[in-house]
Amino acid sequence: MNYLTEERKNSLSAEYVLGTLHGAARQRYQGLLIAHRPMRQALWRWERHLNALGAALPERQPAPTVWHAIQRRLGFEQSTASTVTSLPGRQPRPGGAWPWLASVASIVAVALAVTLWWGQVGVPSAPSQVAVIQGTQSEALWLIELTERDIRVQATEQFSPVSDKDYELWLVAADGRAPVSLGLLPKDGELTLARNQLFDQVQVAALAVSLEPLGGSPNGSPTQVLYTSQLVTL
Amino acid sequence: MESDHIKLLSATATGDQQAFAKLYQSTSGRLYAVCLQLLQRKDLAEEAMQEAYVRVWHNACDYHSDKGSVIVWMVSIARYRALDILRSAAHKRERGGLDHEESSDHTPEVSLFDSRERARIDECMDTLDEAQRQTIQLAYFRGLTHSELCAHTGSPLGSIKSWIRRGLQTLKRCLER
Repeated sequence: MNYLTEERKNSLSAEYVLGTLHGAARQRYQGLLIAHRPMRQALWRWERHLNALGAALPERQPAPTVWHAIQRRLGFEQSTASTVTSLPGRQPRPGGAWPWLASVASIVAVALAVTLWWGQVGVPSAPSQVAVIQGTQSEALWLIELTERDIRVQATEQFSPVSDKDYELWLVAADGRAPVSLGLLPKDGELTLARNQLFDQVQVAALAVSLEPLGGSPNGSPTQVLYTSQLVTL
Repeated sequence: MESDHIKLLSATATGDQQAFAKLYQSTSGRLYAVCLQLLQRKDLAEEAMQEAYVRVWHNACDYHSDKGSVIVWMVSIARYRALDILRSAAHKRERGGLDHEESSDHTPEVSLFDSRERARIDECMDTLDEAQRQTIQLAYFRGLTHSELCAHTGSPLGSIKSWIRRGLQTLKRCLER
């Protein structure tokens, strides 16, 4: 069979991009791609045509853990401190307003629950800002409140800690400085941390949680960033 | 946007991690939508995203404009990864089980494509017969195979193959007019 007639080239390439070329036919086509430049050009033409459909889908923001996992797979951990600062730039973009609103809505919903929870245990001052640290499945792991005096952290029941590691909370400033440690997070129950004066001096881009040896970061920088979350003002 | 993407991708090709981070920020919403639309599950879509961006990092120097805009090239990479995951035996969906995912990670994004922006190709999609358009859209956005398309539409295999083949021929004529 002459695979390289114009019509054959086109129909094979189109169905390969569409995903309906299967089994042995797909393998033969992949072999032809390697050997024949005209076949690659036909493939690129169909990728341009059909994948314009995919590129026009409304944006959906993946969980922050996806980026962390990519960094881990590429061995970027050594430069964690510098790459963490680049993450919080995630802003709602034109056409991407809905996922952003949905995300804020869910955070505010949890924030209200946090407020009610603190209300029940009789904490006197209302929180000024809250953050929810979410895991890979968007489950809430820690509820964090920033009050005028301190930082209150509650580990949720969904959090399963690694026993031989600690979890450290970091302030990531919008000005690009290295993340600043706010202290170790509780593995269960609640804990009050000191409110770092930087909260009043810089714009906070995000809070980050890192996985550390017991006792916290050995060198003052996050060892392995697991999660990030933005503060929401109530 | 495209010129920014080309700059970021060029810097990525030289090993610039910050440029790669910015490229991720600028493109991950689009690529995740493609993966989520195809796979219908967040965990699988996130797996496809990881594999796609690892590939973008390693293959950034292979990009050239014959492959389309940077975002279309990246969508191509992500979509092939998502299709591989979809086709792998472990994750293969039950035939005809389109709307009955039992995973707790199931996401209600079934019809993300209904609210997409209209692209140039949509004008050409409008010129297709209803059956041709429906089978091509189901194959593209949901990754249905020939046999899954038969089950989903209740039509014989010969008709499915013919609708796809003729629909794609019409699309090509329209797009290259």
